[in-house]
Amino acid sequence: MRSSYAAMRKLLHAVLLGLVGAGIVHIVVLLLVPEFSERDAWSRLSMASDLYRMTRLDAEAGGAPVVKSVDPLFYATACRFDLGEGVVRIKAPGHVPFWSVSVYDRSGHNIYSFNDHTANDGVLDAVVLTPAQMIDVRKDLPEDLQGAIFVEAPIEEGIFVIRTFVPDDSWKPIVSSFLEKSSCELQDF
Amino acid sequence: MLKNALLTLLSLVIAIGGGGGSVWYALKAQDGVGAIRIGQWTAFPDIGTPAADPYSKARVAREGVLALGRAEGLSFVAERDAGGGELKRECTYTIEGGFPTARFWTLYAADQSLGVVETGKSRPAALQSYGVVRQPDNLVIISASDHPMPGNWLLTGGFGRMYFVLTFYDTPIASSTGLSDVSLPRILKVGCNA
Repeated sequence: MRSSYAAMRKLLHAVLLGLVGAGIVHIVVLLLVPEFSERDAWSRLSMASDLYRMTRLDAEAGGAPVVKSVDPLFYATACRFDLGEGVVRIKAPGHVPFWSVSVYDRSGHNIYSFNDHTANDGVLDAVVLTPAQMIDVRKDLPEDLQGAIFVEAPIEEGIFVIRTFVPDDSWKPIVSSFLEKSSCELQDF
Repeated sequence: MLKNALLTLLSLVIAIGGGGGSVWYALKAQDGVGAIRIGQWTAFPDIGTPAADPYSKARVAREGVLALGRAEGLSFVAERDAGGGELKRECTYTIEGGFPTARFWTLYAADQSLGVVETGKSRPAALQSYGVVRQPDNLVIISASDHPMPGNWLLTGGFGRMYFVLTFYDTPIASSTGLSDVSLPRILKVGCNA
């Protein structure tokens, strides 16, 4: 009788210990998921293309979309960059009904976003740089960067995404060519 | 001795299985921390920002989401109608009411993964605000159905669960102060195909 009571107590003890452990494991796993995920946006993009290469995110360009670009009435393109190698400049010539851009850090957090109402004359011309690079650029601002939007991002690796609205089918070729002509390249000073 | 080993094993199984399983379950659930509910519509304004909670961060990393920024827009998802029933692809719904201030909005019917539903037709299962007919008082009435409807017709089709995704672009409601007195359209069930 006494021995079975002791065994029950031991079992209860083990279960309680397990539950406390489950709580700890829950927190640890939750915090480690972003660190070790191989399915995040950066990993998916790096499987599809190189740094500084614009990659279409919608299915329109053929094949399955690289990163789920949610809105069916939107086209999107993205490029990965590394500010450790220098300042990156993103340009897209022409006009479309609506564009918006976002800068994401390595783990996919949205750091900065703006849309065509912010830009000079509605033309997409942006420079992404770190605060330290910003100080250097400010000393002697090149002529052709006068109209650009400067995005100061305290990151090294990141993702730049351009989203464009496609109101109806007749806009598809225009919006597509806007995204095809967009560029993402390292800028020298 | 063997009994002690078994008990240790039991503790470990509960700890690792329970901990891992509960994270997996929490990340699969549609509803989450940091949600804002307006009528039947749910939005996660903080998702994808550095200020997001750990669950949103883990979900972003696992699903490879690149969330809309504040200057881009804000998405709302509805999974139930005004009567509390789950949205079904085989049913007809009326979405009616006023829409908050935005440059434009888009509305589409989505499946479980929040991708647009496959209808097999050339007409997209999506509408946008430049292409809808408005009432004299600026309200919009949309009929979501798998067969043609008069007025604004949102094509759906197929069987199973459905979600409506309503996204406002370049909108002041995306800033946190703007969300307090926003009203969104209601979703009313009209009927279902048997």
